[in-house]
Amino acid sequence: MSDEGIARRVRSGDTAAFAELVARYRDRLGRYALHMLGNREDAEEALQDSFVRAYRSLARWNDTAPFGPWLFAILVNRCRTTGRRTARRDRIFVRDDVTLSTAPAPEAPDHAEWDDTIRRALDRLAPASREAFLLKHVEELEYDDMARLTGVGVSALKMRVKRACDELRSFLTEVEHV
Amino acid sequence: MRAATLPLCIGLLVPVTLAAQDPRLERRLDAGTRAAVVAVIDSARAAGLPIEPLVDRALEGAAKHADSARIVAAVSLLATELATARAALGPSSSPPELDAGASALRAGVRPSDLTQLRQRRPQSLTVALAALTDLVVSGVPADSAAAAVLALASSARDDQIVDFRRAVERDIALGAPPAAAATVRVNAAVRAAGRSGKP
Amino acid sequence: MFEHDNDAVQRMVERLRAPVEMNPALDERVMARIVSAEGSSRWRLGNLWAWLRRPRPVPVSPLGLLVTAAALAGVAVWWHGTSPSGGMSQPEGASGPAPVQFVVVARGASSVALVGDFNDWDTGRTPMRLTSQGGIWSVVIPLTPGRHRYAYLVNGSRWLADPAAPRAPDDFGTPSSVVTVGG
Repeated sequence: MSDEGIARRVRSGDTAAFAELVARYRDRLGRYALHMLGNREDAEEALQDSFVRAYRSLARWNDTAPFGPWLFAILVNRCRTTGRRTARRDRIFVRDDVTLSTAPAPEAPDHAEWDDTIRRALDRLAPASREAFLLKHVEELEYDDMARLTGVGVSALKMRVKRACDELRSFLTEVEHV
Repeated sequence: MRAATLPLCIGLLVPVTLAAQDPRLERRLDAGTRAAVVAVIDSARAAGLPIEPLVDRALEGAAKHADSARIVAAVSLLATELATARAALGPSSSPPELDAGASALRAGVRPSDLTQLRQRRPQSLTVALAALTDLVVSGVPADSAAAAVLALASSARDDQIVDFRRAVERDIALGAPPAAAATVRVNAAVRAAGRSGKP
Repeated sequence: MFEHDNDAVQRMVERLRAPVEMNPALDERVMARIVSAEGSSRWRLGNLWAWLRRPRPVPVSPLGLLVTAAALAGVAVWWHGTSPSGGMSQPEGASGPAPVQFVVVARGASSVALVGDFNDWDTGRTPMRLTSQGGIWSVVIPLTPGRHRYAYLVNGSRWLADPAAPRAPDDFGTPSSVVTVGG
């Protein structure tokens, strides 16, 4: 059954069916939450809160529109209310085998160190820049969709993404040359 | 002597036959347990009490493989509670009200509070009594719970009383002292009920 | 978007795009919060019976919940749908039965039955349906207005009260719960 079909079913009263939607979206949304918030505990909390909020506000979902983006918007908003706690750092990346196969660098860096560098790099970004960067380049949204989701204009979003890329490049270059 | 006792015997025969013929009891209880349970049920019926809760309690005991003494004790206790509830709530109370009233008494609510609730609330008391019981089970002292529900009795709809009960339970789950949770929430609930008009 | 293939930011993005695995136990925590709070009383009843009558496949997908030996987590919801008048109390008998959904998490169970006053405590009358391999069982039944005692029977032998519902007094040494359906 499609996500929308299940969501309609939940809205008709089948609470148990919501578990299927949670299972389908848990990892997909979890990736954004982890990178935005920087640690697994905050990400899980944001994810839980977002699913519960989605369930409780399902009446407001326009069922002619896809369910996934609506749910994702709830998560993005929820992540904004959680400050990134830099003191808490976990191993976020579990599937090292996947990233090994996609790393294009001639010399693949030590992954624990590389992951730590990535986390520090994201930490340095202002939350608004980090959000825009993740939505554009990691979640691969179009600017129009990002604008609808964040309420920020397209040109402002483009500036945030560019600024984020410049800051990240600067930091990563500096780190790699140390 | 014989003429005097005969009609009495005939009068007793009829209700015993009715209860004993309940196929659910026949299927699920052994003969000895059934006889004892039927005796309690028949007395209750003669007193004008609802008997379905008593049958349910016996069937619950059967499902849980309780021993005969325990089943009979549970049914007898409920019959007593139903009688007390009827005395407190009035003889025209509906079976669901009496059942809910019995539960409230079991939880520790005083009969006088049930009587007051009847005086203050014109509509069915089933939901209000259930909420009162649930509050006490959640840890709110019986007198605090009764005071809260009585405060809402004349103005709140059933669904508002249920909302109040849920709010208090949430507060308790979050660590609030039960009595304080009820006191804090009741003021807001009374205001909300007053704003929405009489039920 | 990036200047050249070896751009550090591009490498970072590729690393960030890697799938992540969140803790599957999160599903259960989400459902526990959903069912233990207000329930879903805001949904209207109207469509439910029509939906129930339509044949439909049961969506079973691996939730990947970690199985913990012995422990059965009971989390349940009853959903009290509003009466046609929107929650105003009605004289008893004036309103008919309302569909109520019972949901319980029982990981590792092979069968779960809903047993209570409403089905004469007949342990075989209301089997629950496994809605996911994560151990979430559910059933919808019509309940008349009033107070109903019930419990879940897991694997035909273990009685489980509903952790999210008020407890009923224990007359028989096994746990039971109470649900109240307004008239």
